[in-house]
Amino acid sequence: MLLLAPLTAVMLLILIYPLGLTLWTSLYNGRFSFDAYAELASSTLFLRVLRNTFEIAVGGTLVSLLFGYPVALHLAAQPPRKRTAYLIMVMLPFWTSILVKSFALVAVFGNQGLINQFLGFVSGGTVNLPMMFNRVGVILGMINFLLPFMILSILGSLLSLDRRLILAAETMGAGPLRIFWKITLPLSMPGVLAGVLINITLSIGMYITPALLGGRQDMMVANLVDFYTRQTLDWTAASATAMVLLILSGLLVAMLGKVRGAAGLAGAGA
Amino acid sequence: MTATPVPAMVELQGVAKRYGEVNALHRVDLSIAKGEFVTLLGPSGSGKTTLLNLIAGMITPSSGRIVIDGRDATTLPTNRRGLGMVFQNYALMPHMTVFENIAFPLEVRRLSKAEIKRKVGEALELIQLGHVANRKPRELSGGQQQRISLARCIVYNPTLILMDEPLGALDKKLREQMQLEIKRLHAELGITMLYVTHDQDEALTMSDRIVLMNGGRIEQQGAPDTLYFRPETVFSAEFIGSSNLIPGTVEIDADGAYALKTALGRFAAPAPDMALAAGAPAVLLVRPENMALAAAPTAASVAGHIEDSILLGGVVRHFVRCANGSTLVIQELNQPGRSGAHRGDAVRAAWQPQHGRLLPPAPAG
Ligand SMILES: Nc1ncnc2c1ncn2[C@@H]1O[C@H](COP(=O)(O)OP(=O)(O)OP(=O)(O)O)[C@@H](O)[C@H]1O
Ligand SMILES: [Mg+2]
Repeated sequence: MLLLAPLTAVMLLILIYPLGLTLWTSLYNGRFSFDAYAELASSTLFLRVLRNTFEIAVGGTLVSLLFGYPVALHLAAQPPRKRTAYLIMVMLPFWTSILVKSFALVAVFGNQGLINQFLGFVSGGTVNLPMMFNRVGVILGMINFLLPFMILSILGSLLSLDRRLILAAETMGAGPLRIFWKITLPLSMPGVLAGVLINITLSIGMYITPALLGGRQDMMVANLVDFYTRQTLDWTAASATAMVLLILSGLLVAMLGKVRGAAGLAGAGA
Repeated sequence: MTATPVPAMVELQGVAKRYGEVNALHRVDLSIAKGEFVTLLGPSGSGKTTLLNLIAGMITPSSGRIVIDGRDATTLPTNRRGLGMVFQNYALMPHMTVFENIAFPLEVRRLSKAEIKRKVGEALELIQLGHVANRKPRELSGGQQQRISLARCIVYNPTLILMDEPLGALDKKLREQMQLEIKRLHAELGITMLYVTHDQDEALTMSDRIVLMNGGRIEQQGAPDTLYFRPETVFSAEFIGSSNLIPGTVEIDADGAYALKTALGRFAAPAPDMALAAGAPAVLLVRPENMALAAAPTAASVAGHIEDSILLGGVVRHFVRCANGSTLVIQELNQPGRSGAHRGDAVRAAWQPQHGRLLPPAPAG
């Protein structure tokens, strides 16, 4: 207990103090008011950025789910030793900085990148499939970071699925497709939901990826905070925007807790 | 046994299964007739589950042929074998209601909604659980869950049902109730059943035929009575029922009468079912209920003193310590006014020679 005291103090200092300061700045500008929030609500820029943020977060999460589920399914079917080896590969993106990864993505997907060059070589012309500095680029950059969370979350659900249920379904004559739709998928839903929420929470606060790999149209809320603080020096608007982002993420994290709890219950009941 | 041979539902021809160095099942030949209730009985690790899973198609044999209902099914995938299986842990789908669980195999068979509703209703009726149709499995007791998994199995009329220790997780009373229920369903529906258990009472209660397994081999098979009264090995005798086993050497008179010369005396015995030469080592089996306390020597008796007597309700069991230190068990009916035998009393354990049975000695190891 005594040991926790300094830790708590540090936490207060580095977390609560700046948060409180941000909140204060968003509310106090010479006098105390909600003006900054009212202005945000009527700002077309803010609303557009908010819509961007949701579109990109949901889009990135869906793509991550689309790729993540089959990978998790494959991993779950592996013998434990092989699975560990594959899992290390899944975690690989975490070992490189997001900056380096972003440049690597440009090298692969950019106008002069590997893919366009290969397509050009195959078709015999010049191919310039625009895959960078637009929304496709942002999502490509994001799923690189989101996928491991999605895969691990779904894999957890799949591994806790009782294999005898599948065997029982097989003896009753069910084919693999029916087994997937009627048993595997519904029973892995807690993992899917958790993965989706983690992904949306993570992607809503994305900053570097849209800045490096997106176009002008792909500004996200975090980039807007940056814009207010460094371009227009409007600290009140920046703080209010940051608070909105915090509240959105907070709500998502709360939902995640609910889903986790429900998943735990389902596991205990089986 | 009927006069005309019943066609086989399942036929195993030289089926074996190896896991690396482990021989889970040595070449087994087994035939199960249509409508028969066969129990696989044996100690843990004797290969019962392996044999069942081979028939279900969950594992493929290392060698041999499996024929189900006249069709070679050796490599047929599980979902095309058309059989039913009841699992020890019930294997009900936790996210489906009882109704949906029982409807599942009917949906696989693409029955109409109305027909599914009717059949599920009938199945629930059969197990007297119509009132739980809308509950989830976890809201049911273990016994109810097992009955639902039975209903899910019989609802699509498979011609063969496999059960792997389906009652293993239930308490004794519920288990006995479910045994009767399964027997009733078998009699009513005429389904062929292959049932795995390591509980000898369960096997004796339920089966038309018991297949006793030992170390991946079939030790002996036959009707419950046959296995109980005519065991062919010491293993069979010890696994089913309790037994007194007295080792000795075989003696054969000039007129062909058999006897066993033992440390406790020389005992006449009926001629054995298997070849036992004079002078060969053998074991005399006498069931405890065929032994009685006697005051004076009889045709076959051993002197000793009572080491302990325990009351088991309807029967009493006496443990008689003999001169050479071995113990014989005597089981008597418990009747009012039964003459009391006390610890330390000098008594004789007596039996009628025709109730003895000569067996080859247990293989060493
Ligand atoms: N997947 C496997 N890999 C290796 N060995 C196995 C495997 N499955 C079974 N065995 C071995 O095969 C033998 C028979 O196993 P099996 O499960 O058939 O026994 P059982 O009679 O069903 O026993 P129990 O009463 O404990 O269920 C055992 O020695 C077991 O260790
Ligand atoms: Mg078993």
